[in-house]
Amino acid sequence: MSDLLVAESIRKEFGGLVAVADLDFTIPDRSIVSLIGPNGAGKTTFFNMLTGVYKPTSGRILFDETDVTAKPPHAITKLGIGRTFQNIRLFPQMTALENVLVGMHSRLKGGILGSIFGTPGVRREERDAHERGRELLRYSGIGRVDDELAENLSYGDQRRLELARALATEPKLLLLDEPTAGMNPQETAAFTEFLGKLRSERPITILLIEHDMKVVMGISERVTVLDYGEKIAEGTPQEIQSNERVIEAYLGKAAIG
Amino acid sequence: MPLMRERLRRLEFLDPLFEAWRRIPARIRGWLPVAIVAVLAAAYPYYVSSLPTDVPVILAFPDVGASVTILVFVVMAVGLNVVVGYAGLLDLGYVAFYAIGAYTAGWFASGHFEQVRFHLGSVGVSREAQGIHISVWLVLLIAGVITAVGGILIGLPTLRLRGDYLAIVTLGFGEIIPQFVRNADSLKGFDLTHGTFGISPIDSPGFGEGLHDAVGLPTSFAQSFERARLFYWAALVILLITVFCCFRLRDSRLGRAWIAIREDETAAGAMGIPLMRTKTWAYAIGAFFGGVAGAYVASFNSGAFPSQFHFNISIFLLCMVILGGMGSLWGVVIGGAILAWLNVEGLANIGAWLNAHTPLNVEVAKYQFGIYGTIIVLMMLFRPVGLIPERRRKRELEEGTPHGVLDDPLYDHRAENEREETR
Amino acid sequence: MGIVFLVLLGVWLVVNLIKTPSDFFTVLLIGITTGSVYALIALGYTLVYGILQLINFAHGDVFALSGLVASTFVVSVFGLDETTATLGIIGGLLAILLFVVVFGATINATIEFVAYRRLRQAPRLAVLITAVGMSFIVQNVSLAIFGVNFRSVPPLISEEHVFEVGDVTYQWNQLFAVLATIPVLILLSWVVASTRHGKAMRATSQDPDAAAIMGVNVNRTISFTFLLAGGLAGVGGLLYLLEFNIRYDTGFELGLIAFTAAVLGGIGNLSGAVLGALLIGLIQAFNEGLSWHAPGSDWTRSIVFGILIAILVFRPEGLLGERTPEGA
Repeated sequence: MSDLLVAESIRKEFGGLVAVADLDFTIPDRSIVSLIGPNGAGKTTFFNMLTGVYKPTSGRILFDETDVTAKPPHAITKLGIGRTFQNIRLFPQMTALENVLVGMHSRLKGGILGSIFGTPGVRREERDAHERGRELLRYSGIGRVDDELAENLSYGDQRRLELARALATEPKLLLLDEPTAGMNPQETAAFTEFLGKLRSERPITILLIEHDMKVVMGISERVTVLDYGEKIAEGTPQEIQSNERVIEAYLGKAAIG
Repeated sequence: MPLMRERLRRLEFLDPLFEAWRRIPARIRGWLPVAIVAVLAAAYPYYVSSLPTDVPVILAFPDVGASVTILVFVVMAVGLNVVVGYAGLLDLGYVAFYAIGAYTAGWFASGHFEQVRFHLGSVGVSREAQGIHISVWLVLLIAGVITAVGGILIGLPTLRLRGDYLAIVTLGFGEIIPQFVRNADSLKGFDLTHGTFGISPIDSPGFGEGLHDAVGLPTSFAQSFERARLFYWAALVILLITVFCCFRLRDSRLGRAWIAIREDETAAGAMGIPLMRTKTWAYAIGAFFGGVAGAYVASFNSGAFPSQFHFNISIFLLCMVILGGMGSLWGVVIGGAILAWLNVEGLANIGAWLNAHTPLNVEVAKYQFGIYGTIIVLMMLFRPVGLIPERRRKRELEEGTPHGVLDDPLYDHRAENEREETR
Repeated sequence: MGIVFLVLLGVWLVVNLIKTPSDFFTVLLIGITTGSVYALIALGYTLVYGILQLINFAHGDVFALSGLVASTFVVSVFGLDETTATLGIIGGLLAILLFVVVFGATINATIEFVAYRRLRQAPRLAVLITAVGMSFIVQNVSLAIFGVNFRSVPPLISEEHVFEVGDVTYQWNQLFAVLATIPVLILLSWVVASTRHGKAMRATSQDPDAAAIMGVNVNRTISFTFLLAGGLAGVGGLLYLLEFNIRYDTGFELGLIAFTAAVLGGIGNLSGAVLGALLIGLIQAFNEGLSWHAPGSDWTRSIVFGILIAILVFRPEGLLGERTPEGA
């Protein structure tokens, strides 16, 4: 199986602080992998580099054989990387459906003149987009709130909406940043189940940052552990669970299932 | 008797009215207010002279000529609303677009460039006249396009700046361009803008001989006895077109992109929206309408004069958008009309009435910018959503969700994201 | 490209220097003089921006209002003019200085309390718009009280020459402005560096939450900053008045010049504000005073704005500022 994403010697420095230190990271196609590590280990920084929010100080990122190291976020999304955020970043004044429609931005073509004059092409595209959007919301379990403002949704629904919006970008690689943060055990279980369903029904690869070990161990095919910006271990969940260095750095303190 | 009072209090007598209203099919119901207002506005010249001129506080209603200026300002407010209200970009230099539009009219519809003689669909000027005389309708379009290009050029270096820096820089352009037109009467000997004198006279629009003979449309506004009325109706049409375009854009792919950028720029980028390009489009379209408005008013005033283009106008337009409601078309039109009217004659009227009926003796119009400043501050502190909130918030208010009218959850949510970013 | 421009600028200056050396130096001195006054205003902008990331648009107008108030004191209250005894002038000016500092400080702090404090959690756009609104309000207050005319004071400080080197002259009243600014700057640095309030200011500007946790009263610190900035504006107003005249809208133009100076030096950086102010003062003086191919005073505003735009686009951290990563 080839690698969908290859990050070579990625380094990120902020002034004197080294957030990510010469990290090599690959994601095999159609896999679910997790990235864990104590707070401040550099996980979100790495995510941000993958999505173009930060530029690596040095190193190279190849996605689907294309060099995306210096590309702006919207270009990377267009190439097929979608993401959710650690602190929910929905568009609060837009409805759930509108949030999802924004996710489709790079997959739609409607332009200014077409929108103003209401050409049949644009009208059709919008109709289809609305339909696909509602379908996506239903698929994500929030079909009944599509015309609710995002800021009025419950926390769990907001998390689902973030995911639906990311899926709307039609990603080949989905980056989820602590998707179950703040969820209770039932919500977490439902979410984990949804991820599994997603992966089996769609040609999608998933990279997860997580603190909830149950989720990590339950769903990941491979786990990578970061500490102080360096990779200290990588392997199957079972291997990681028994890795002494990891336990020492992290697992011993975290809540285990 | 108490029963009667109860029913009166609950406005039950209005129920049949509400019933009838609800029975109108939803599609028509949406357009009805617009249609009613449009008809009232179109008929205005006919009934304005029979309106009372002694109304308490406001005294008289604006005459047709003043109304043209009011309509033009509303067009600009709608244009600015695209930049500030939809895309959330604080543009403090909109007057630059106004100026570019006006001078474009000055260049392409007057005798200014006396070195050449070029006529294209011009009406009301002899074919012998020097200068570039293109049909004013066409010039409006040209002015819009040229101003839009200007907007894009201004946007290129500035749109990647952060909010407050963007504001200052647009302020700068809003200052440079008027100063430029004031001084550009001798660029290496070439008179571009005729300096402090401005360019005058400027042609008026018209429909030419052909349409005049066929359908009775006026040959040239300038030569008509009803000049002000004709300008008024044409301005109304321009406003309707502008509002229509913005209405369509708001619910389009581009409109959603603007609002997404306004709500959370980083998330918007992550969702595949090309930030620079999208922001530039907002600028370009806002500039387009500003240019059209500028050109039109130059034709109406038969001149483009540097004294018209003052930095204060940018703030004045901003005040309209804030008063009306950022992002709200109805709000901006109504808020804009109110403020424009205040500016053109309302404040003077109110001042006169106050001086006549109260012990006060102030020249209210002198303090107009203090008043606008106060409106801005009060609105920001107490009702940031504006008089008529944007459609989305309105829905929330109608359905009675927990948030009160004066709450602005927008603040809390954004604050979190903002602070995250400045770390 | 920037290098090319700077080289051309240098060439232009040198040519002017050679052609009219006395003019050049006279203009240079004028530039330094106005630059000192600009520095006082620029510091106000930079202090507030450093702590709140807010461009207090009203700051320039506070400066103008203070100057106008000072003019009333000089002319009507104390009746100072060139015939008053030196001691009387000194005493009068000191008294007015004290008053105008308190006045400026109070106005500025009131603006913060009334308008900006409530919007501390609001999005940037909202506070910025409010600042613009406040600017207009203050300007209008000046207009209402003092009318549309320019106000000035009789030449209180002698206009005799301090020195004459060839045709280069420098007057006492010009020197006074520079001399008066220096102790103010020294006092300011001491306050910022050594006093408890100054340290609180620096802490809050770097990290308000951490400062709050450490026991800093953020509200009071912010008020203190505005007081300080307002006081500086007051001093600036008085000094400016001694040499030029002031009108209700003088604050707008000078405010933008001073803000540009603050940005040029590096917004948030105190020495940067002073450096930037001196540079802008020089640029303005060169533009208006030199004769060989100088654009002239009509173009001053455009040039200053041009500089502002250029800096924000090409080097937003200014000359002395630190590069902050965008979006970090």
